[in-house]
Amino acid sequence: MSIELKNVDYIYDSGEPFEYFALRGISLHIDDGAFVGVVGRTGSGKSTLVEHLNGLLFSTRGDVIVDDERVSNERTVLAKIRRRVGIVFQYPEDQFFAETIFEEVAFGCRNYGFSKEQVDESVHKAMSTVGLDPERFLPLSPFQLSGGEQRRVAIASVIAMGQKYIVLDEPTAGLDSGSKLAVLTELESLRQTGNVTVILVSHNMDEVAEFCKEVVVLDGGTVAFQGSTDAFFRDAELVDRTGLELPESYRLARALKECGSTLTVNEGSTGRMLDSLRLCVSDLGGA
Amino acid sequence: MALSRSFVLGQHYPGTSVVHRSGALVKLVSTIALMIGVFVATKTVQYIPIAVFLAVGIGVSRIPLRFFARGLKPILFLIVLTVVVQVFFTPGTPIWQFGFVRITREGLGLAGFILCRLVLLTLVSVLLTASTSPIELTDAVSDLLKPLSHIGLPSAEIALVMSIAMRFVPTILEETERIIRAQVSRGARIGEGSLVVRMKSFIPILIPLFVSSFRRADDLAVAMEARGFRVGSPRTRYHARHFRSFDAFILLGTVAALSGVILWRLFL
Repeated sequence: MSIELKNVDYIYDSGEPFEYFALRGISLHIDDGAFVGVVGRTGSGKSTLVEHLNGLLFSTRGDVIVDDERVSNERTVLAKIRRRVGIVFQYPEDQFFAETIFEEVAFGCRNYGFSKEQVDESVHKAMSTVGLDPERFLPLSPFQLSGGEQRRVAIASVIAMGQKYIVLDEPTAGLDSGSKLAVLTELESLRQTGNVTVILVSHNMDEVAEFCKEVVVLDGGTVAFQGSTDAFFRDAELVDRTGLELPESYRLARALKECGSTLTVNEGSTGRMLDSLRLCVSDLGGA
Repeated sequence: MALSRSFVLGQHYPGTSVVHRSGALVKLVSTIALMIGVFVATKTVQYIPIAVFLAVGIGVSRIPLRFFARGLKPILFLIVLTVVVQVFFTPGTPIWQFGFVRITREGLGLAGFILCRLVLLTLVSVLLTASTSPIELTDAVSDLLKPLSHIGLPSAEIALVMSIAMRFVPTILEETERIIRAQVSRGARIGEGSLVVRMKSFIPILIPLFVSSFRRADDLAVAMEARGFRVGSPRTRYHARHFRSFDAFILLGTVAALSGVILWRLFL
């Protein structure tokens, strides 16, 4: 079971004089249980790609296959696909409309015909997953929360539906650094305990290095790289060519190497980098 | 899903033709005069002067005819409805009859007359909004209303309100699409089911839209104040207005078309 894209083209205004290739020959494979990053400069086709995954857009050519089901405009297929793939859009708190947080989070569950008990259970579970105390928050209005709390409620409103694949389009944009880390850590624990596949669209390379083991790099509507995140960030030239930046830890590792340092550091993420540096320093101290 | 592409009425089609470059006030006055002319006419043939003038304008503007066709789309239903009503329900000499269904000569005439009227009115306004940027247009409206400011009408503010409204139409359409995508992804079914269900399904779209519009209005007010805007204080303009020779042609043509219609109605 997986998400698979085969040679997907998407053309805006196909056949018109201003036709524009947003995606060109995209082939992808996303395994179950993965935490995949989707990166690329602005306009590289990330959002267009995301909208293909639950049938908001349909490929002009090529197939999008979710768990052996080809995404198409057919009503029954769409219902099935959307039941499996949840999307948290950019600034998802803009979608709030309900009087209480309970109603807001329950919206998706009710649309999918959960029973009253199921709704109750899913809402409580989703709120706990995003680190908000259900007893305290559920009766409040979603509009009276802080930005970070709103974002978490919005994420809860998607994960409450219990979909197998969760796609998040820049879920940490505009959050303070504490909330950023908390949101991503919650997603990682959801992936591990809930057997959920997480697809993270992000501009923040530090985040991607820290949380995504695999990465899909888009450039001009094509896949410039797919594979291990570490392998991508080690290819500094490719990172530069695709208009992206190296994460801090990789930059520091390069700087160390250029200084002629022989320290063995783990550059995989800022956290791991710090740990390995501490280790080196204590070794030096011991010597 | 592309809501923003289907609204042509009130949309600008940038270009560099003489029609685009001529004064907005002149075009606005001409449009109003032509519309009056359309209502003055009592027979289909009397539309000829206006239609000829409009055809020249459309030709010279170099705006593709497809754009005008799209402008007619929103009122297609209205056109079909009125034409059908006129054709079947006008009393007179029947030329075709089947049971109680009857088409009369007068009915056909009247239907053609109404059809031309609706098409002309739409095309005139599409030509105006397509060839004139919203900013130029609001400046023109404010010029037109200026005399009324002596009797207390806040013409500059009205123009500002209009230009802000027009500025935010595409933004709000985009926002609507965004919210629809989000709610559909949460399993919302929009415009399906019984009337009550369908009406209810719009709540998750309308409320977020209201919330964001209010927030946007607030932000805009702060941004304008921060840049020194005050209600009622005199404003200057960035774009100077020049009277071009083509403006004179438009005015002459308009006068000719309008008087053509009036004379035709009075003397022929």
